[in-house]
Amino acid sequence: MTRVRVEGIVKRFGDTPAIEGVSLDVRPGELFTLVGPSGCGKTTLLRIIAGLLEQDAGSVLFNEDQMDDVPSYLRNIGVVFQNYAIFPHLTVGENIAYGLKARRVPPDRITTKVAEAARLVQLEGLLDRMPAQLSGGQQQRVVLARALVIEPRLLLMDEPLSNLDAKLRVQIRSLIRALQRTLQITTIYVTHDQEEALAISDTIAVMDRGRILQVGKPWELYLRPATRFVADFIGTMNVLHGKVEGPGRGFGALTVVTDFGERWQVRAAGSPGQPISLGIRPESLQLLPGTNAVEAWNSLKGTVTEVVYLGAVVRYQVKVSENLLVTAEIHNPDFSAICGVGDGLTLWFATARAIPMPGETGPA
Amino acid sequence: MARKRRDFWWSVTLLAFLTVLAFLVYPLATVLVTSFTGEEKRFVLAENYSRFFSHRYYYSSVVNSLYLSALATLGALVVGTTLAFAVARYPLPGKTFLRTAANLALLSPPFIGAYSWVVLFGRMGLVNRALSTFGWSLPTIYGWRGILLVFVVQYFPFVFLLTSAALRSVDQSVEDAALSLGSPPRRTFRTAILPIIAPSLTAGALLTFMATMADFGTPMIIGEGLHTLPTLMYGEFINELGGNPAMASTLGSLLILVNTAALMAQRYYAFRKAYNVVCIQPLTVRRTPARRRLALTVFAYGVVCVALIPSTTILISSFMPTRGPVMYAGFSLQSYQTIFHVIPRAITNTFFLTALAVVLDVLLGVLVAYLLARRRSRAHALLDALIMLAYAIPGTVVGVGLIVVYNRPPIILTGTWIILLVSYFIRHLPYPVRSCTAMLQQIDIRVEEASVSLGVPPFRTFLKVTIPLMFPAILSGAALAWMTTIGELSSSILLYSGPWATMSVAIFTEVFSNHFGTASALASILIVAAFIPLFLTYRVLGERAALGM
Ligand SMILES: Nc1ncnc2c1ncn2[C@@H]1O[C@H](COP(=O)(O)OP(=O)(O)OP(=O)(O)O)[C@@H](O)[C@H]1O
Ligand SMILES: [Mg+2]
Repeated sequence: MTRVRVEGIVKRFGDTPAIEGVSLDVRPGELFTLVGPSGCGKTTLLRIIAGLLEQDAGSVLFNEDQMDDVPSYLRNIGVVFQNYAIFPHLTVGENIAYGLKARRVPPDRITTKVAEAARLVQLEGLLDRMPAQLSGGQQQRVVLARALVIEPRLLLMDEPLSNLDAKLRVQIRSLIRALQRTLQITTIYVTHDQEEALAISDTIAVMDRGRILQVGKPWELYLRPATRFVADFIGTMNVLHGKVEGPGRGFGALTVVTDFGERWQVRAAGSPGQPISLGIRPESLQLLPGTNAVEAWNSLKGTVTEVVYLGAVVRYQVKVSENLLVTAEIHNPDFSAICGVGDGLTLWFATARAIPMPGETGPA
Repeated sequence: MARKRRDFWWSVTLLAFLTVLAFLVYPLATVLVTSFTGEEKRFVLAENYSRFFSHRYYYSSVVNSLYLSALATLGALVVGTTLAFAVARYPLPGKTFLRTAANLALLSPPFIGAYSWVVLFGRMGLVNRALSTFGWSLPTIYGWRGILLVFVVQYFPFVFLLTSAALRSVDQSVEDAALSLGSPPRRTFRTAILPIIAPSLTAGALLTFMATMADFGTPMIIGEGLHTLPTLMYGEFINELGGNPAMASTLGSLLILVNTAALMAQRYYAFRKAYNVVCIQPLTVRRTPARRRLALTVFAYGVVCVALIPSTTILISSFMPTRGPVMYAGFSLQSYQTIFHVIPRAITNTFFLTALAVVLDVLLGVLVAYLLARRRSRAHALLDALIMLAYAIPGTVVGVGLIVVYNRPPIILTGTWIILLVSYFIRHLPYPVRSCTAMLQQIDIRVEEASVSLGVPPFRTFLKVTIPLMFPAILSGAALAWMTTIGELSSSILLYSGPWATMSVAIFTEVFSNHFGTASALASILIVAAFIPLFLTYRVLGERAALGM
């Protein structure tokens, strides 16, 4: 199993910087995901790791081996591209066998290995077809088999599911995850779909504009996003602003007065008078109908401006003050939890659910 | 970090530059320099040019050339686009026939077209002799009318094919959107459809303009003393009283100037106006009143029949008994027997030289196309421009340039077949380069990267993945190069020597020595030989792919 280290990679295209000093440490056998908005440099970074693009500075290491001067075709990696990159002039079988032939594997071994790879990705019986006769999902599996059959030391996948419909996406996602676990191949997986990232990864790195913002387990990123950008990219986050009033009830708690005049207890550090920003996930908010329900700590009052009822969830946009809209998601809503547009309501949350958001000082 | 190695592609770049410099840039530069050279190799600024512009004999050739090319371009545009619209948008019968016929009309070189009109309507022509039995006669075909007729008939199919291809790429939704936004049909055409097809229209116009400027054989055969730039240039260079290379070069420089200016203007325009359109549902056929439909049908079939007259005339007349320029009704293999006895070398020469030139064009063209499409750099952009230059420069100019450069030590090529090969090779290199570059731009580079990542080194990837995917473009580039090389006259007539006459040269000399039968027989062989590769490509690839459009 291969450990991949990326150290201080920089890449510019002419004057536009694409990667601005990225370092990563991918543990052997893990599925490591790069997420970020379109154009943030995910593909560029992946191509540098694959050796298809030369970096301007920094280096790539597989275990202890410096790879910078190793050309792509000697790195022994499997790459699955954003749009398949299937060889249209070769049959499915020839596509899968392509890398084995390059390695001069004897023909009878090739046949058995291709058959085995085809079985792994559930393509038995299609080996003689031409790619044009395959569905999108089948093509994707051919490319997967083609990358896996060479037993690469590293698997790189660039948005491998982006051309598939929602149902197939979930199916192939599980297939990829299962194969990766059984074969224990270190994998770097690129996506801009946060749900996909959460579902599939051991570790996630969030990228923006050529930099890594945060690296961590999926739940670490979700529960403790380091920045507003990460918080918004992985899920939705309500960000509210206030001032520290003084110590709160209990160890490590503060009393905070929000800009709209509520008094809250939160787990955070800070001295009196200091401005503070707090993030609250929509599903951390609980609902009490009416605005003059119980006088509780940690509550917000407002009027409903939008209701989306989805059965298992009802999502509200609540106007708390002139320039503050809050999103709340109530799971498994009962009749009592259904409000209409214009209704007043009270939202509250448990003390531990408000996350201090560093780097956010007051409303812009 | 930058590892700029002197790899294989570096050598290809070097080789391509050396080739283009040696066989195109240096000869053309020599022509330009010679136009500024007076007696005893002095540098003179304007001696040749002022002589040129003060003698009516000389300057009338520029006027004639520009005038004829402009009219021919206009004529080809009008006929070609009208036909394209009629076929694309109106319910005409037999559209496949119309398209095929337009394609076939491209096959014969223009000077053979000119000759065929002489066979029909010339002084001793079939029609005139038939009419004279009734005491009637037609206005003369010789002179500028004949040239114009040949040019329009020869080049409207290019405009037709380019416009048809462009029209196929206009989505019906574009028209629907414009109409639904309240734009009347005429305005919709002008504001929504015309801009999308404009780059193709201008490409067709450019092609017609450059080709007619460069055409040497047509005015020679049907012009009867009407001089254009290429014919006068040839005359000045080959003059029996001792050639005048300085004046020939002056004429050549003017040709270079006019054609490169036209090329650059079109490129600049097309570059700024090129739109990427996604076409799912092409423009649909309109419902039409019966009268208009009839008029368009008559027009379309009339045009296409006229376009087919040259090849048909040639084929039929090659089987007629002849004496000198006079042909008689009947069937005879006399003309074919004569050529196989008297000039069989011309046929083998042509096939040998054309095949070799096309093979070399494809070999270098494929490699250069890869450089242009995949390793874009300043040097490669320059290479691209230089190769396009070969497309713009008339054969007469290339021929004169090659002779002037390669008839003195250290390298003497004049008098050998190599100089013909060089001219054919360099002049038709743009065809495979264009077709393969266009194809490569459509092949996803990630397919090649996938191969590299699977452990196949870049050059083997090029052989195993890129070449097979480029195959259709290679085939169509080769077929086009073959078609245009096999009938090449303008540089052959200057460069051939002794036993190395080609079929085009033989046809030309047979026409001038009034042996119309042998000329027709040779021309028939030429047309059929030009047709076969293109036909095979069609069969393999289908019409659209074969023309690289
Ligand atoms: N060959 C290139 N030349 C110039 N700029 C490039 C090139 N390739 C990428 N870029 C630029 O580098 C930046 C990063 O591109 P990259 O393809 O890595 O984005 P990405 O994160 O993969 O986006 P997406 O999610 O849309 O695939 C972008 O701003 C892009 O425009
Ligand atoms: Mg990408």
